[in-house]
This record gives sequence, structure tokens and C-alpha cells, in this order.
Amino acid sequence: MEKILYAIPDLCTGCNRCVYICSAVKEGAFYPSKARIHNNNFSFNGYSVPSVCFQCPKPDCLKACPREAIYKNEKDIVLVDREKCDGCGDCVTACPYGMIEQDDQGLAYKCDYCDGDPACVKECYPEAIVYRAEDKAMRKLRGLQMKQRMEAATAGEKRRQLGRNLLSLVSQ
Amino acid sequence: MNLYAGKILVVDLSEKKISVEPLREDWLKDYWGCWGLALRYFWDLVSPEVDPLSPENALVIMTGPFCGTLVPTSSRFCLVSKSPYTGTIFETNTGGAFGPELKFAGYDGIIIKGRAKSLTYLKIMDDQVSLESARDLKGKGIFETEKLLKERAGSPEAKTLAIGPAGENRIGFACIGTETFRQMGRGGGGALFGSKNLKGIVCRGSGKVQVADMPNFLKKVTHFKKTNLLTDANLWASTDGTAILIDVINGFGMLPTRNFTYGVFEDKAGINSDAIKAAKRGDRACASCPMACGKFTRINGAEMEGPEYETLCLAGSNCEISELEQVIRFNRLCDDLGLDTISCGNIVGLAMELTETGRHDFGLKFGEAKNYLAVVPEIANLSTPRGKLLAKGAKKVAEKYRAEDLTVESKGLEYPAYEPRGNYGMGVAYATSERGACHLRAFTAFADSPFDIEALTQNVVDGQNFNAIKWSMCICDFWGSVNHEILAELLTAGLGRKVTPRDMATAGERIWNLTRLFNLGAGFTAEEDSLPQKIMKQPLEKGPRAGKVFAEDDFDKAKQLYYKLRGWDKKGIPTKTKLAQLGLDHF
Repeated sequence: MEKILYAIPDLCTGCNRCVYICSAVKEGAFYPSKARIHNNNFSFNGYSVPSVCFQCPKPDCLKACPREAIYKNEKDIVLVDREKCDGCGDCVTACPYGMIEQDDQGLAYKCDYCDGDPACVKECYPEAIVYRAEDKAMRKLRGLQMKQRMEAATAGEKRRQLGRNLLSLVSQ
Repeated sequence: MNLYAGKILVVDLSEKKISVEPLREDWLKDYWGCWGLALRYFWDLVSPEVDPLSPENALVIMTGPFCGTLVPTSSRFCLVSKSPYTGTIFETNTGGAFGPELKFAGYDGIIIKGRAKSLTYLKIMDDQVSLESARDLKGKGIFETEKLLKERAGSPEAKTLAIGPAGENRIGFACIGTETFRQMGRGGGGALFGSKNLKGIVCRGSGKVQVADMPNFLKKVTHFKKTNLLTDANLWASTDGTAILIDVINGFGMLPTRNFTYGVFEDKAGINSDAIKAAKRGDRACASCPMACGKFTRINGAEMEGPEYETLCLAGSNCEISELEQVIRFNRLCDDLGLDTISCGNIVGLAMELTETGRHDFGLKFGEAKNYLAVVPEIANLSTPRGKLLAKGAKKVAEKYRAEDLTVESKGLEYPAYEPRGNYGMGVAYATSERGACHLRAFTAFADSPFDIEALTQNVVDGQNFNAIKWSMCICDFWGSVNHEILAELLTAGLGRKVTPRDMATAGERIWNLTRLFNLGAGFTAEEDSLPQKIMKQPLEKGPRAGKVFAEDDFDKAKQLYYKLRGWDKKGIPTKTKLAQLGLDHF
């Protein structure tokens, strides 16, 4: 991938503007529960962890899909072919980060990097969500986040647990 | 509906009855949201003579039209009721993220009536709303209560409102906490929750807020964000947070110090924005605010979001406490136990002066942190004789010890952190605020001519009218450069129908006048639009505005001018012409 979407929790203020703009662009309404990016707010600890799709090199969601409805495009972005999706939900269970979900019709949806121009990035004033070429520091940060693989919970619980893990790392 | 959820949740705690009413759309064009709309609802719900702590009093919690959208700083929401502390009507608001959550759950606001038989919490999970027992939460602090309410809702991302022991004990300056370190602070909202046996509210919403034309709305939001919000006028909130005011207000000689004796604090370096920056771990924002004025700090294991300027002053310079760590500890105790830090700092400062002048020994001395910290839980828990006494507030303490010359309050509400002897406009603002001394109704502290009564009184009227509509739009104080034009344009884009700046201006004045009508009905007269003796008689000491008083003659002149500018008679009663002009003649 030329550029990658990174979440930098240390800079996140928990304002949720990324979530609002994502839902406004994708759903035409301010609709946080249907956003493709999320925020885990730990107000007691003064910390927030954005949840972004890592567009995994070997996506668990893609592997889990029995109908080959999930694929990678030419830019290595993981996408859902909603014509092929039958709503089985296996991808939701498989994603260890809680970053693919089902809509009201049961069809899977996820972050598509807004076709190379992510709306969340432009809305993030503290630059906690950035879209850039990989470098050493960013590779390390993303690697640490991707290591936190969650099992057997709802998508929201997986995101929250990932956030909690990262919080405990900075609290140490 | 565009911009609004279209529904109000009505909770009768006595009857254990929960119902949902359609939003009174006919009120929107006159009252808009948040403060204005809550006030309009409240007007119909109770009589001005109501006993604030009785089941007959009602609480109206309300969001605004921009809440839950990308309009920057729009996540604030308010509570309107009759204050148990001042006996006036009052509005108290907070940021955080509860407001948007409520709206995403499908409600613009909540009306709470009656009194539960035992300690209860309200659970809102979209359209599943229930009253649950909170008996086992009795006495718990706000921090633990928030955690437990989220656990019980099965949702760590749920948002809460909660009170601590101070609210349960119905202390007049008990606050309502949210998102751990944010509060509806002033006027005793916590005591009202306590009087209703309501420990808290937990809410999770999965719905949406719609606008008429999303691309157009986003275009407007981005435009005003870039050209008006994120500019030098406001970005201090992002870079420094409110602590920057310590140096600024001290520079004016208006930083309340040693229980409003001095206008400057020699040890300010211990509590100013440099001190905050040295202790800062990160920036924190309310929902939808790009600026993030909250500064999360940590010193020697004491950590919190803040302290904010008001607390740095009233619990810092006003008590001559110059160590940030101690102010953090004081602030954190207040946040957890549920006390307003402005009132609490004032009261402790007063007790220090009473002790040092030998009028009564509270065991509290200026600059001494140990007892200053010890007394906070004593107040909140009513656990010692001095705690019980101080819990009554500065006015009552002053009455008991005939110390009216030492205390600073208007209508029973202690002063915020801007010395009115150094800027007469702040004095007029404190004396005429609907909820007692308040800096969020009109703010003239930065005026070039701080003693120009005519200009400042006009500023106060304009400021009150503007803030009445600004708070009704749930916009934060710190979008200081926002104006009627911007509000009207954003509403036009969101609603899909024309709203004019004049609509905004008239609504602001209407809202202010309606609060006046309520207070008159509650028995207030021009006599209570007053300043304390200390401000009128005792010259301010130290700093560039030393020697100043706001003398009674000058204040009376300002007050009569204020009534005249408002279109009120000499007794401070709105004239029929003014009421007719505002569409309030039937009230």
C-alpha cells in the first residue's frame, strides 16, 4: 500500500469528530454506531484509542468469508462485494479487531479508506488519525496495535479490549 | 426531523412511570433548544413558588439542535430547574458526551418529576428505558458510580450523569458529574438529583441525527470551523486551556486572592498554565470539539483532567494554595464527592479568613493544604460539625458569624474568578444573573475601560442576550468568536429553512426576560440584584487595580441603567411593551 491509515492514541483527544464525519459521509447522517471508525474513550484515565481498520496483509475477514465476497483491490484495500455477501457474519466473528460489522440488512460493511482520501483524517485536528507512507515509527506503532488480537466477543467489545490493552501499556 | 430527535422522555419517579412525548415543535422557533427550550418546558411544569427540593419541582435536561453533529463544540447540554441553593431559576450545562448519546438514543431531552421511594437510576438504551434500583450505590463517589452504571448497562461506551454523597446529602452546591471530570457545577443540580432519589442516568444510543442537506451542511461547518473557530481568537483553548487566564487575569489585577482580598497572587507561577503544561499528560476534548481545552495532568500520583481556571483560582489563589498538586487533590475530591469547586473554594476561603481574623476557628488557614484537603469530604459527607456548617454555603456561614463583610455572593451564589472591583461590568453581570453570581451570562473582564459604567452595562445586556441564545444552541463558551450570523447560517443549512440573525437575537432577549419573570414570581425583587459589602466598601488590595471599590452609588447607577436598557421599570420588572415585543405578554 502506498499510504496507510494510522491511529496514534497518544494524540487522540476523544472528540469523536472522525466518527461523526465517517458516518456523515458513508451514511448521510451523524450516525456513530454505523461509522467505519470508532473511538474508545477512557475518561477516568484521560486516554482515548481510535479503532481503525488495519487493512491487514492477510485479512482474517477475507479468509473467513465462505462466498468470497471480501477481496483486496489493486491498492490492497480490503473491500466487501455486497452483491455476493449473504450476511452470514463469519467475517465479523473472524476480525480480531472488531472492524467489520453487519448493517440492518445483515450485509457486511467496513472502512474503505474513502477511495484514497479518508474523510476522518481531514477532520482530525490533533493529527491522531493520519494517512501516510509507512516509516519505522509508524510500522512499530501499527505492529503493536495489530498484535492485540481479540477473540469471542462482539465487534464493539473487541475494539474496547484492544483499547484497554493499549491503555495498560502506556500506564505502565 | 432535521437536527432534532423529535421526542422528549418524561420520567415520573413518584409514579414509576416513563413516557415519550413528541417534541413541542411549536416552541422551537422561539426557544430553539438547550437553555431556551428547557426553560419553556420548565415554565409549564412548575409554579415559581415551588419548593426546589420537593417532589413538585421538576428537572428539565435538554440538548440543542447541533448536539450530535459536527458543528464544533456543540455537545453541551443543560439542566433547568429551580435552584435549591439560590431559590432562583437556574441553568447549568456541561460538555462531555452524554448530550450526543441522549440524542442518538432518540431524545432531545428528559423531564424528571416526582421523587423515587428509594435510591434509583434511570437506564436509557435507545427505546428501552427503565428505572433501576441504586440502593447499593448509596454513598458512592461519582467515579465509581459511573463505572458501575456502565457495567450494569452492559456497555462501556455508555455515557452517564451521576451524583456523589454531596448530592445525596442535598448540599446546595452539589454538582452532577459526567465523563469523570466534567460537571454541571453551579446552582445545586446534584442536590436536585438527591432530592429525587436519583443517583444517576446511564444512556446508550445507536441512532442518528439528520440534517436537510448533508453536503451543504458539512461545507458550512468546515467553512466556519476554519475561518472562525480555529483562529487566534479561540486557539488558546487548544494550546493552553483555561489555565492561561491565571496570568491574564492576574495581569489585570483581578485574580481573586486570599478570599477576595487581593487582586494579584504572588505565587501564581505554581498554578498557571506553565505549571499545568509541566504536569500535562495529554489533551482532552468534549464530543465534537477539535480544540480540546481539557489538560490531563499528573503530579505525584494525583491525576485528573484539569484543574480549570476557576478552580485554580478559587481553590488556589483564593485560598493562597500555590502548589498545583494540592489543587489537583482538592479538585479531584470535589469531582468525586460531587461538589462545585467554585462554591467550595469560596467557602473554604471564607472559613480561612474567619479563622485568621479570629471570628471563628475552623482550623483552616490560608496556604495550608492539610486541612484544606481534609475538610472537603467532611463537607460532602456532613461528617463533622465544621463540615455540616460549611455545607450550608458562604451566605449562611456569613449570617451565622455576622461576617457579611467577608463573603462574596449574589443571590446566595458565590463569586467566580473575576474580581468585580477591578471591572465594574463583572459586578453588574454577577448582580443581574438569573442564577446568582455567574461569569457565563455576561463577561466584560477584557474590556479596555473597566470602570466605564455606561459602556459596560450595555455590554452586560448584550452579553446576556447573546449567551442566552448561544447556550440554547449548546455551543461552548470557548467558541468565543461565534455570532448570530454563524448560528443562523448553520441552522438554515441543517433545518433546510431560512433562519435569520434577527431570529437569534430576539430569542436570546426573550429567554432572558422569561427567566426574569420566573424569578419575580419566585419572590425576587430589585433588592436582590445586589453586590456584597466587601465589593462595595472594602478597597481591593495589591496589583494594578488596588484601592478600588464598586461603590454603592456607582452600582445603583449601573443597576438603573441596566433596567432602562432592558426595557424594565425602576423596580426591575419588564414593561408590558417589552413583553409584547418579545411575544411574552401572555406569560
